[in-house]
Amino acid sequence: MTFEPNILAFCCNWCSYAAADLAGIGRMDQPTNIKIVRVMCSGRVKPEFVIKALSDGVDGVLILGCHIGDCHYVTGNHRTMKRFQVLERLLEHIGIDPRRIRLDWASAAEAEPFSNMIREFTEQIRELGPNPYAGSYA
Amino acid sequence: MLVLMLEDIRKLVKRTLDGGKVDGVLALWRENGRVGPHLFVKGDDVSTLEIDPKYNLAAVAILALASGAKKIALIGRGCDERALVELFKRYQIDEDAIEFIGMACSAEQAQACECDIPYPTKIQFGEKVDGVVPNELKNVDDMSLDERFAYWRDVFAKCIKCYGCKNACPVCVCQDCVLEDPMWVKKGEIPPEFPMFHLIRAYHMADRCVQCHECEEACPMDIPLTLLYRQLRQDMKDLFDYLPGASDAKPPLTTVLEDEKLEEGA
Amino acid sequence: MSYESVLTTCPYCGCGCQFYLQVVNGNIVGVVPDKTHPIAEGALCIKGWNAHVFVQREDRLHKPLIKENGEFREAEWDEALDLVAEKLGEIKEKHGPDALATLCSAKCTNEENYLLQKLTRATIGTNNVDHCARLCHASTVTGLAHAFGSGAMTNSVPEIDDSDVILITGSNTIEQHPLIGSRMVKARERGAKIILIDPRRVPMRLFSDLYLQFIPGTDVAWLNGMMHVILKEKLHDKKYIKERTEGFEAFEKVVKKYDPKTVEKICGIPANLLEEAARMFAKAERGSIFYSMGITQHITGTDNVKSVANLAMLTGNVGKRAAGVNPLRGQNNVQGACDMGALPNVYPGYQAVANEDAAKKFEKAWGTKLSREPGLTIVEISNAARKGDVKGMYIVGENPMISDPDIEHVRQGLEALDFLVVQDIFMTETAALADVVLPASSYAEKEGTFTATDRRVQRVRKAIEPVGESREDWKIVIDIAKRLGGKGCDFESPAEIMDELASLAPIYGGVSFDRLDAGEDLLWPVKEPGHAGTEFLHEGQFTRGKGVFSPIEFREADELPDKEYPYILTTGRLMFQYHTGTMTRRTPALESESPNPFVEVNPEDAKELGIKNGDWLEVSSRRGSIKIQSRVANIVGKGVVFIPFHYAEAAANVLTNPALDPDSKIPELKVCAVAMKPLPK
Repeated sequence: MTFEPNILAFCCNWCSYAAADLAGIGRMDQPTNIKIVRVMCSGRVKPEFVIKALSDGVDGVLILGCHIGDCHYVTGNHRTMKRFQVLERLLEHIGIDPRRIRLDWASAAEAEPFSNMIREFTEQIRELGPNPYAGSYA
Repeated sequence: MLVLMLEDIRKLVKRTLDGGKVDGVLALWRENGRVGPHLFVKGDDVSTLEIDPKYNLAAVAILALASGAKKIALIGRGCDERALVELFKRYQIDEDAIEFIGMACSAEQAQACECDIPYPTKIQFGEKVDGVVPNELKNVDDMSLDERFAYWRDVFAKCIKCYGCKNACPVCVCQDCVLEDPMWVKKGEIPPEFPMFHLIRAYHMADRCVQCHECEEACPMDIPLTLLYRQLRQDMKDLFDYLPGASDAKPPLTTVLEDEKLEEGA
Repeated sequence: MSYESVLTTCPYCGCGCQFYLQVVNGNIVGVVPDKTHPIAEGALCIKGWNAHVFVQREDRLHKPLIKENGEFREAEWDEALDLVAEKLGEIKEKHGPDALATLCSAKCTNEENYLLQKLTRATIGTNNVDHCARLCHASTVTGLAHAFGSGAMTNSVPEIDDSDVILITGSNTIEQHPLIGSRMVKARERGAKIILIDPRRVPMRLFSDLYLQFIPGTDVAWLNGMMHVILKEKLHDKKYIKERTEGFEAFEKVVKKYDPKTVEKICGIPANLLEEAARMFAKAERGSIFYSMGITQHITGTDNVKSVANLAMLTGNVGKRAAGVNPLRGQNNVQGACDMGALPNVYPGYQAVANEDAAKKFEKAWGTKLSREPGLTIVEISNAARKGDVKGMYIVGENPMISDPDIEHVRQGLEALDFLVVQDIFMTETAALADVVLPASSYAEKEGTFTATDRRVQRVRKAIEPVGESREDWKIVIDIAKRLGGKGCDFESPAEIMDELASLAPIYGGVSFDRLDAGEDLLWPVKEPGHAGTEFLHEGQFTRGKGVFSPIEFREADELPDKEYPYILTTGRLMFQYHTGTMTRRTPALESESPNPFVEVNPEDAKELGIKNGDWLEVSSRRGSIKIQSRVANIVGKGVVFIPFHYAEAAANVLTNPALDPDSKIPELKVCAVAMKPLPK
């Protein structure tokens, strides 16, 4: 059986979710591996969300917000960006491939870049293979 | 040398108490054959004062002040000072309520803790010695990702969920701890889920760990927590030029991007 | 303005960790582990970290309660104490002293237990005094006293560091004795090997070099099997056996029958694994055995313990540093309560009541005539109460309505009493049945000593005044004794009580508060004031002279699974709860971890039953039934289920079998037959 990645994407209400919507309306060709969780702001995405997803067996996690400077809440995504940098390093310290997580920005109009991003990330996760980090102690 | 220093500290404590500017001096004492924290007050016998083993007194200072003391002196090491700085910053202790009396750790003490900064900024007793780099740090650095995952997975299998790391930590000050929220960590399971429990705690330590090693000393299983937290401290330095406990700068995970970083982010 | 840091001993398990209670203006707000303590070494388990939480809970008993027309009303101390004395006195007068019985408490201090058994023996005049040790290590006391002459851990906890092979059986050490479990895991990191032999895949499985799962109740068979292999492969310590033991020939004859293939059929342990375990243990330079309730709580409890002793002697592992036979005691002071003579057959220091010399010595010291007749044990007291032979009981800090087997019978017994007085810190299930409830004090409100599992006598210190109008237990016992006309109870302090005890119990001969307060580590026997105490027992020779091998045949459990009740139920505890939950269920950090009772079911059994994790089941035995949620996990083997006994709402002890080990009168809490029926969703 070929491996189909299971990917979780956190999209902010104001930009990236609208981009996803637009991509859908535009019937753009994109993989179906992504499950989207709509959040009001990428700043809502606590690192716990990402760690929990990986811990529960999700193969990759995307966090998509508004571009810096365009946040509906002005600085919500500033915090996301800082946290993400720390989280990436932390995963690496503990032996989890940081390429399984990605932070990016998409405006409400960027349907095509959104689509491309998803395609790229899905391929990247496909190459990395199934999440080996899940599961408790036997 | 150490004995002389101890005598000097006792004398200073007596003078401080007699001076009447503080309500008490928080330090260690020997009582019932054991050594533990004690708030010396005027009239106490200062000959019972000790400086070993290490107890982080910053967390105890919160309790001592909760009794209604207006100002206390604290005989502490570098890690006590760093913890105090974080506690001041996070509104847990009023800076004016503490008179810090700093001791530099000896080479042996620094080695015992594998401490990177075994001295406070303000040294009243002892002499500054070099920081120690733990051998294990290089070991984990040299591992592949998979090896490292296996290493930590094995190490954390020993966790018995005593929450000692959280309880002993002087800068873990949240009333409601995310580790106790069943949303994130399954209740009643030993060992707790890996990597959830430990990654969450590590993340929350990133901009606050002052490398006092209290968590590791409180761990009944000797899990090398400070190894992981030390790497995160370095990250904070690299990413945000910030070292917890070293300055009164705001913790970077609570602030917004500055102009320069804004460009980068965009 | 006051901040104090009070060094005391943890009130939970027998590890005996010490910590500093943090007291701010009369409120205990936290604990700081003692970094200089030999066991805690600056660490604690989750219960220790939360040991202060229940102390000042609002629902502590604050005033004495007297039951009138089925309802409790508050009373003043004098009224309550007078009533207690009057009723107990009346029963003694009318029906004789043996119509009364007391239960001491493994939670109370040594001094309190000493006083309570003295009250029972000297003032009331009966030996009907027992406590929950009957339910945990009664068979250890009889088994090891027979084999070695002393029924306690042969070695001290820090010696674990130097063991080569650690054999753990019937002990969920990581969950029940966390600071001993952690020590074992750390010893393994330094090269020791761990053999785990247990019906449940407990957390220690992650750190064991060999894990053997077996059917509950078949301990003697696999122990004999291991010894069979050791003898067959000539791995036994011939010199040791010759010089230090007796009874070897008869023992050898029995063990010959238990070849690994035969044992495999009885226990379900693959023959090759048993052989491997036997070799690993026999080849150890310092082999230590740790066990707990899994060995003791059987009708063959004493046999199991003797078999463990056989294995240790066969390999020359008793009377040696870092080796030995180590029963881990469950309660903070269950070792101490036994040492104090809170048992129906012995005075303090294990001096038999039936021994004329001992009886005379205590008669002289206590200035009164004493009964030579050993008293009744816990389950016997309960039976006697049902029959009307015991008419009055004084229960201190015990909760038999949760802890004892076959709760329905316990209830009938307690309800049949003419008078029941319960002394506790909370309104327990047992206290609810009392005629008078006396509000006692917790460990944080009094001075005294506890004796940890490794015979370590340690101080308990007062951090706050007793809450409300509650009083220290030792003071209450004195008040009752005086009202009953008791002599020799004019003690001003627990230190004075210890001095009297030390003068009468040779194993505590050199123990005093002064020595303990100077920081001395005293592990009994401490023969006299200058004696440093004893790290490990039986060095050079056994307490009884020579060690005795016992020929032990395997006997089946009292109640085996059958068509009607096809599963074996075994019971035990969890990391986050403690015993009957009186303290832990009032501690949010603990209760929130394990708030619900559950029955642990093997995945294969779950499949056959058609149930999923979390489904509700009715679990029944010949004695009763409970409704409980399932937890499907590969921890128990197929055909076995496990229920923790902490929970009143689904009490495992409604189901358990009160059949007794004939020697020690310990009930078979670890094996009974149950049926399971899924409940409609």
